[in-house]
Amino acid sequence: MKAAVKRRKKISVADFSFRFCNMIFMILFVVITLYPILNTLAISFNDGTDALRGGIYIWPRLFSLKNYYTVIQKDDLITGAFITVMRTVIGTLLSLVTNAILAFIVSRKRFLFRHQLSLFWVITMYVNGGLIPTFLLYKGLGLTNSFGVYVIPGMISAFNMLVIRTYMNGIPDSLEESAQLDGAGYTTIFVKIISPLCKPVYATIALFVAVAQWNSWFDAMLYNRMSDNLTTLQYELMKLLSSVTNQSTSAEVMKNASGSVTPTSVRAAATMLTMLPIVCIYPFLQRYFVTGLTLGGVKE
Amino acid sequence: MSYRTKAKKNKNHQETKIQFSWKEVKRQKVLLIWSFFIVVYGIVFYYLPLAGWAMAFENYKPKDGIFHSSFVGLKKFNMLFSDETFLRVIRNTLAMGVINLIATFITAILFAILLNELKSRGGKKIVQTISYLPHFLSWIIVTGILHDALSGSGIINEVLMKLHIIDQSINFFAHTQYFWLIVAFANIWKETGWNAIIYLAAITAIDPNLYEAAAIDGAGRFDRIKHVTMPGIKPTIIILLLINVGNVLNAGFEIQYLLGNGLVQRVSQTIDIYVLKWGISQGDYALGTAAGIFKSLVSIILIVIVNKIAKHNGEERLF
Amino acid sequence: MKKKHMVNLLLVIVMPMSLLTGCSNKAAADTANAGSSGNSQSTADAGSTDTSNNNAGDVTTDTKEIKEFTAFFAVPGSELNDDNEIQAMIAEQTGVSVKEIWLTGQTAEEAIGTLVAGGEYPDFIDGGDGEQQLYEAGALVALDDYIDQYPNIKNFFTEQEWEALRQDDGHIYWIPQFSNIKGEEKTCTHNDEAFWIQTRVLKWAGYPTITTMDEYFDLIESYNEANPTMEDGTTNIPYTILCDDWRYFCLENAPQFLDGYPNDGCCIVDPLTQTVIDYNTTATANAYFKKLNDEYQKGIVDPESFTQTYDEYIAKLSTGRVLGMIDQWWDFAYTAGDAIKQAGLDEQGCEYVPLPITISSDVTNKWHCSGGVLNVASGLSVTVSCQDVEGALQFINDLLGQQVHDLRFWGEEGVDYLVDDSGEFYRTDEMRSNASDATYKAAHLCTYSYFPQYLGTSDDGINAMNPSGQGSEFYDGLSDNVKECFSAYGCQTYVDMLGTVEAPGAWYPMWSFAGTLTTATEGGLANTKITELKHEYLPKVVMAEDFDSAWADYMTEYEDCNPQAYLDELQAEVDRRVAEAAKYQ
Repeated sequence: MKAAVKRRKKISVADFSFRFCNMIFMILFVVITLYPILNTLAISFNDGTDALRGGIYIWPRLFSLKNYYTVIQKDDLITGAFITVMRTVIGTLLSLVTNAILAFIVSRKRFLFRHQLSLFWVITMYVNGGLIPTFLLYKGLGLTNSFGVYVIPGMISAFNMLVIRTYMNGIPDSLEESAQLDGAGYTTIFVKIISPLCKPVYATIALFVAVAQWNSWFDAMLYNRMSDNLTTLQYELMKLLSSVTNQSTSAEVMKNASGSVTPTSVRAAATMLTMLPIVCIYPFLQRYFVTGLTLGGVKE
Repeated sequence: MSYRTKAKKNKNHQETKIQFSWKEVKRQKVLLIWSFFIVVYGIVFYYLPLAGWAMAFENYKPKDGIFHSSFVGLKKFNMLFSDETFLRVIRNTLAMGVINLIATFITAILFAILLNELKSRGGKKIVQTISYLPHFLSWIIVTGILHDALSGSGIINEVLMKLHIIDQSINFFAHTQYFWLIVAFANIWKETGWNAIIYLAAITAIDPNLYEAAAIDGAGRFDRIKHVTMPGIKPTIIILLLINVGNVLNAGFEIQYLLGNGLVQRVSQTIDIYVLKWGISQGDYALGTAAGIFKSLVSIILIVIVNKIAKHNGEERLF
Repeated sequence: MKKKHMVNLLLVIVMPMSLLTGCSNKAAADTANAGSSGNSQSTADAGSTDTSNNNAGDVTTDTKEIKEFTAFFAVPGSELNDDNEIQAMIAEQTGVSVKEIWLTGQTAEEAIGTLVAGGEYPDFIDGGDGEQQLYEAGALVALDDYIDQYPNIKNFFTEQEWEALRQDDGHIYWIPQFSNIKGEEKTCTHNDEAFWIQTRVLKWAGYPTITTMDEYFDLIESYNEANPTMEDGTTNIPYTILCDDWRYFCLENAPQFLDGYPNDGCCIVDPLTQTVIDYNTTATANAYFKKLNDEYQKGIVDPESFTQTYDEYIAKLSTGRVLGMIDQWWDFAYTAGDAIKQAGLDEQGCEYVPLPITISSDVTNKWHCSGGVLNVASGLSVTVSCQDVEGALQFINDLLGQQVHDLRFWGEEGVDYLVDDSGEFYRTDEMRSNASDATYKAAHLCTYSYFPQYLGTSDDGINAMNPSGQGSEFYDGLSDNVKECFSAYGCQTYVDMLGTVEAPGAWYPMWSFAGTLTTATEGGLANTKITELKHEYLPKVVMAEDFDSAWADYMTEYEDCNPQAYLDELQAEVDRRVAEAAKYQ
C-alpha cells in the first residue's frame, strides 16, 4: 500500500515536469506560428506605400483600410465568391462520398481485386500527363468553360482514399461479419456501420478537400478564363495580385506593364480575407480531431 | 489482458486469401459494380492524359499537336542526362526531398502527440487552430518574412550576436551550406500544424479504455505514448511515409525559386525550376514531359520497394 | 437518430450530383452561345435572351450596337472593372468594347502553348514571348491586305517599319504597340537604365560635374564619409545592387553603357563596322567589376546586394538610406519613388537623379536614345478565331484617333484633366493622385494599354500624347530639391541630365531579337547558359577576395558556354536588319 502511494507520487512529479515542458513548448510553438499571421495582418492594415519601407512587425505603422477596400471593390468578386462556395460545397461532398466508397471497397478483406485496385490508384499519384494533354482531354470532354471542371477532375484522389482506407482498416472485421450474419449487404454496412465510425477521418478529408477547393485558382484560369460567370474568388484575387515574381519576365515587358505590381499590403489583405471563412468553419470540424471521441461500437 | 497487447490487437492484418469464383463475384456484386465506375473514371482522368507522354519522344510543336510532331526517340532523355546541370538538380531535389520528408514528418507526429497530451481542452483547441494557420499563407509571404528574419539585421542574427555565438552577422542566403536547412525550416514552419491534423484524427480512433487500462497498470506518460498512442497511429504513419517516399522528387518549386539567388543556385535549383528555365521558357514542352516521366519512374520504383518492405514487415501498405 | 442523419446526408449529396450534370451542360451551352455570338453580340440581343445579364442593360441607352471583343495579353496587367466609365465612353464613340484578360500565374509560353493546343483564341492577342508560337501555329490573321483600308493604322508606321514587321512568309501579323512617337518628342522622364544618385549627395558636393564611374564612386565615398547617417540617425547604404532573378540586368549590362553605346541589351554593335561586340569580356567590363569589387571590399557596396529580394531592395530605397544605384527608372520610381515622397524624404534630398556616366571622360554617354524603339518581336494581333476582322481593325484604327487617344491617356476632360485658355492640358494634385490609384484606375480609366498608342505630340500641336510627356505638368510634380538640382545643371527634365542621342542604326535594338532566341539553336543555348553562369559568377566576382583570379575563373567558364555561337547569330541578325534597311535608302 505504502509503495503504491509512493509510486503514484513519483509519477506525478515526472508528470508535472512533463506537462510543464510541454506547455512551454506549445507556447513557443504558438508564438512562432502566430507571428507570420500577425505580421500579415499588420501589413494588411498598413498604408500600402508606407509598407514598402518594411520594418512592420505585429502592429501597423500607418493605419489604413485602403487595402481591404482595394480588394473588396474588385469586380466579379461576388460571382467569384459564389462559385467558390459552390465548388467547395459540391466538390467536398462529391469527393468525400466517392473516396469513401473507394476506400470502403479496397478495405474489404474479401474483395477480389483489392490489391489491383489499390495499385491502380496509387500509381495515379505519381504520374501526370502534363498541362497540354490534360487541357485537351478536358476540352474533349466538354469540361472547359463549365462548372464541372472544378469538381469532376480530381474528385477521387489516391491520397484521400488511402487515408480513409487506413482508418477503415483499423475497424474490427467482426462488425462487418456480424452485420453480414444479420443479412446486411455491402451498401448497408458502408452506410450504417462503417461510415458512422469514420467521422474523424471523414472530417479530415472534408477539410483537406474543402481547403484545396477554396484555394484553387489555376483551373479557373486555365479552363474557364473566358467565362466571367464561372470565375472563382481566388482567381480574381490572383488577377489583382498578378504576382510577377513567378514569371521569367523581361525588362521590356515590365516597362510597358508598369503599375501592375500590386503592393505587399494588398496581398496581405487578400490573404486575410480568404483565410477568414475557412478559419471560421474550422471549429465545427475541429471537435472531430481534438476531443477524443468515444467510439461506442468499436469496443468489443 | 494487458493494455499493450490490447492496443496491438486493434489492428488486424492477417491476410485472408479469397479465391476467385463466380459465387464470390455474385456476393461482391455491389463492390464490383462500384469499382467498375471508379476504374473508368480513373482511366479517363488519370491514365488517358498519359498519352501526352508521347511528347517526350517527339520534337513537339504546338501547331502539330501530339499526333503529328516529328518523332525523335530518346533525344530529350539523352539531352537531360548528358547535362551536368540536370544531374545537379536531381541531387538538389533528392536532398531537399529527403530532408523535408524527415523533418516535416517527425515534427508533425511529435506535435500531434504532444498536443494530445495537453490537459486543457480549450488550450488544445487554441494551439491547434493557431498551428495550422500558416498553411494558408502563400509561399511568397512566408519567404518574405523568412528573408527579413535571416537578413543581416534580422532577428536571428541579432539573437546570435547577443548570445555571442557569432560576432559578425551572417548572410544566410549567400552560403550554399545553409540553403537546404532553411528550406526544411520553412516547410516545418508552414506545414507542421496542418500535417498534424491527420494524426490527430487517427489518435481519436484509439480506444480511450486503453489509456485507462494503462493508467491502472501504472504506466507513465511515456509508456502510454509508446505503447498506446504510437501503435494507434502507426498505420497512418506508415501509409503517409510510403506515400511521401514516392514524392521525394517533388521537393517543390516556389519556395526554392523565391529563396534562391545566383550565389546558391548550385544547390537551390530543383527539377521543376530546371524544367521552367530550360523547357517551358524556351518553348520546349517535351523537355518538361521527359523530366516528368523520369520523376514518375523513380517514384514508382521507390514505392514498389518500400511497399515490399512494408509487406515483409507486416505493416500497412499502399497496395 | 444517427441513421436518419446518414440518409439525409446521402440525399444532400445525391441531389447536387444530379443538379451538377444538368448545371454543367447548361453552363457549357451558355458559354458556347456566348462564344459563337460573342463577336458581334449586340446589347439588345443580350438583353432579350438573358435577362440576368444586367451589365448589358446598363449601356443601352441608344440603339447603337456595341460589339464585344475579347483580348488576351501574355503579360502581367491590371484588369478593368466591367462597368469602367471611360471604357463605356470609348464604346459609345467606337461601337466596340474589349474585354481584356492578362497573364496570371503562368509564363507567356505556357499560356500560349495551351491556347495553341486548344486551337481557340480570343479576338485580339499579344503573345509576348510566345508570339512566335502563335505565328507558327497559324493562329494569326495576316494584316497586310487590310492595312491600307485603315488610315490611322497605315500611318502608324512608315513603309520601312511595316517591311521590318514582315515574317518569313512575307506577311505582317502583329502591330507593335509602344514607343511610337508622333510629331515632336516629348519625354521628361528617363524611363530607362542609369546610374542614379540622391540629390542630397550632389547638393552636399555643390553639384559637381560627374561623368565617369570613378568620379561617381568617389563622390559617394566622400559623402558617406562626411555623412554616415541620415538626419534621423539611420546609417546610409552607399551603393546597393539589385540582383534578384531577371532583375539582375543592371548589374549585368552596364559595360555597354560605360563604353558609350546605347541599350542594345544583349551586345554592343559597332556603328561603323556594324560588328557585334560582346560586352561581357571587354576591358571595360573587367574595369567595372573590378571597381565594384574594390567598393565591396571598402564596404561601399551593400553586402546584402546579391541575396536581397526585390521587395527588400525597394524597402531599402524607400527609407532613403541608399545613396546610389544602377537601375531602370520604372523598376523603382513607381514604388520606392512614391514611398520616399510620402514619407517626406524628398525634403531631405533622398530622390534620385540620373548621371551621364561612362568609363572615362573621353567617352560620350548614350544612356538616353531619342525616337521610338520598334520591337519587332511581338505586338497586337487579330486571331483566326475573330469573326469580324474588319471590325477589330476598325477599332484599332479608332483608338488611334486623337479624341479617343486623349480619352485613353488623359482621361475625361473636367474630371481627369483641365484645359487652360491656351488649350494646354493640366491636372490638379488630386487628379494626379487619382491617376495612380489602382482602385480609381480599375473603375474609371481605360487606356487599352496593349493596343497601339502614340507618344510625342498631340495633333493639336500643344499637348503631349500622355501626361508624363507634358512639360509643365511634369515640372509641377517635382519636389524642390529635384528642381534645385535640375537648375544647378541647367536642366529641365531627367532626360536633360543625360542628354539625348539619336538611335544608332537600323539594327537597333538587338534585344528585340535576343528575346526570341530559344535553346533550339546553338546560339540560343549558349545564351541561356551564359545567363545562368552570370547569375552565379557576377556576384562571386564582385565579392571575391582576389578579383583577378575570380575573374579568370569566370572567363574560363564563360568560354565553355560557347559564346561565339551566340554572337554569330546576333551578327547574322544585324546584317539582315542592315540589309533590309538599305532597301529604303
